[in-house]
Amino acid sequence: MGKVLPSEDVLIRMQRDVKRALQRNAKDVRWTMVIDLGKCTGCHSCTLGCVSENKLPPGVVYRLVIEEEIGRYPSVRRRFLPRPCMHCQNPPCTKVCPVTATYANGQGVVVVDYNRCIGCRYCLVACPYSARTSDFGEWYTRGTPEAPQILVGKTAAAQAYEAKPSTEYGKKWPVRGHGSPIGNARKCHFCLHRLAVGMLPACVTTCTARATFFGDRNDPQSLVYELLGSPRLFQLKPELGTHPAVYYLK
Amino acid sequence: MQRTSYTLLIGLAVLGLLAGSWGMAQRLLYGLNPVAFGSYVPWGLWVAFYLYFLGLSAGAFLVTTMAYVFEMERFHRLGRLAAYTVLIALLCEVLFITLDLGRMSRIYRFLITPSFSSLMTWMFVLFNAMLIIYALKTFFLIRGDLVAWSKDPKRKGRGLYRLLALGKSEYSEKDHRRDHKIVHGLSLVSLPVGLLFYGTNGAFFAILMNRPIWNSALTPLLFIIAAILSGGALITVLTHVFMRDAPLVRALGRATLFALVAFLFLEMLQFFVGYQADVPWAVAALNLIAFGDYWWTFWIVHLGLGGLLPLLLLLAGKDNTTAVAWACALIVLTFVAVRFNFIIPDLAVYKLEGLEHTFYHARLRTQYTPNMNEWLVSLWVVSVGLLAFLLGARWLPVTSSDAGGMEHAH
Repeated sequence: MGKVLPSEDVLIRMQRDVKRALQRNAKDVRWTMVIDLGKCTGCHSCTLGCVSENKLPPGVVYRLVIEEEIGRYPSVRRRFLPRPCMHCQNPPCTKVCPVTATYANGQGVVVVDYNRCIGCRYCLVACPYSARTSDFGEWYTRGTPEAPQILVGKTAAAQAYEAKPSTEYGKKWPVRGHGSPIGNARKCHFCLHRLAVGMLPACVTTCTARATFFGDRNDPQSLVYELLGSPRLFQLKPELGTHPAVYYLK
Repeated sequence: MQRTSYTLLIGLAVLGLLAGSWGMAQRLLYGLNPVAFGSYVPWGLWVAFYLYFLGLSAGAFLVTTMAYVFEMERFHRLGRLAAYTVLIALLCEVLFITLDLGRMSRIYRFLITPSFSSLMTWMFVLFNAMLIIYALKTFFLIRGDLVAWSKDPKRKGRGLYRLLALGKSEYSEKDHRRDHKIVHGLSLVSLPVGLLFYGTNGAFFAILMNRPIWNSALTPLLFIIAAILSGGALITVLTHVFMRDAPLVRALGRATLFALVAFLFLEMLQFFVGYQADVPWAVAALNLIAFGDYWWTFWIVHLGLGGLLPLLLLLAGKDNTTAVAWACALIVLTFVAVRFNFIIPDLAVYKLEGLEHTFYHARLRTQYTPNMNEWLVSLWVVSVGLLAFLLGARWLPVTSSDAGGMEHAH
């Protein structure tokens, strides 16, 4: 009798892959994501997981799921395409930054130095994947009422989420007022703060269909290394020569 | 310029400043939160105005080219007015682009952590080079008069003129000759710097590979011609208003006509190549210009009022200075539509299929209409520029067409 169910959740294996990568020389690690479009159900859990993890305000999104309808009735299909930052190996966004505030780190992750970014938004315009957003200082609770003993009220609601500091890039960003990252360009950073402590990015762990895979592509034992050999593999807009570190499986 | 017109313009500028202050206060208190642009159309009205003033600053560049490259003597006397106009246009430019920054307090980062792979850094370098060149040029063109005015007992504010002349109390023939040499040298330097400056501003957009209209070798050239056209038209209007020199206005009108024809031809090429290549994104962006929500800014404001009508006026009324001045005024006033139609449509096309149907938020949409805050801030900046220009025209020797001025500009 053939094997029907996997013996372990892929998350467990990827967790081991991440821990193994952390023990290697950091310069040799190249973080990579593979997304299996055949498995994605379009549940948007990854988007919500990311928003929640990074305390993203309204209008800022790192990983959204594009829904595409193909064909004409009655022969119609729906396709879901999760789109994080591609972490290009030849990133068009970093070259245009006038103040070296965005760059690829040692592991190939394109990051933003919030304390250096001037908010010119040239990188937003240069990104071919629309993967960067600007933080315009929005609040979910702005305009909501404060009604003690009737409603929870905006202060309490804010304290439960957006008044909490974001921990992006391993720092505790202050409560949203006038300081960074308001006014900055923001983008997916593969949850570097989680990786630093051996945890997978939030979008990977929250993926209900286990369609998102993550690991070090330079590690022959890793799951992503195996997946990169798949004939179903493709990249978004390969003609641009950006060489994304995010791959898709058809 | 008549006193009543002058007072009226000063009044308009002050009113504009007062009205615009509300927008400025919001901008300074709440950052970019009050603006209408978002992450998919990240640049809006202020960048369009930045490009508009960039073009206007090219007026002196045109004058310099004609005076010192083509050795057209008659343009020498425009030196002061042209140089001062550049300074004001650069002032407006820098205000617009600084206000557009999400974190404008970090503008010093251009100095301490510059990235020379970014064309924005080069724009910053070339902008400052232009500012220095034209500040020096203005100073050396008017220094003789500043010294004379500081000693004129009938003139108010003699102390200020002495300060502006950097304490110089005598102005000899030797000083005159030396200033003339400096101005000549600065004019020659400003040629390559200006070409690079205007070209770099075009290249800034042209290098973005995912932007179908911008990503063309034609863009830097289009920027240079656009700058010469709008700047030349502005100088023509100012010459008509402040100097009343009919032959000079007619000569500038002919140069503007040439620039207008060249610009319209390049624009036609852009549309022709875009539609013939039939790349969906490029066609979508061109369609937005020609048939989108703002079609009227292209067909009526730009092509009609800013293209065809000035063309007819410049051709049919080439010997009539009023007709020439009106044609140029129309070009200047309507050119902001050209800049708006350059910036917005290419941004307003989704670069990934299906992006428009996901994650709804007003900042993640390609529909963009400048809101009241953006208009008020723009009004404030334009009013600052207008006020600075009018005060300079009244209290500084920038529009005098006396023999000294003519010789200085040589």
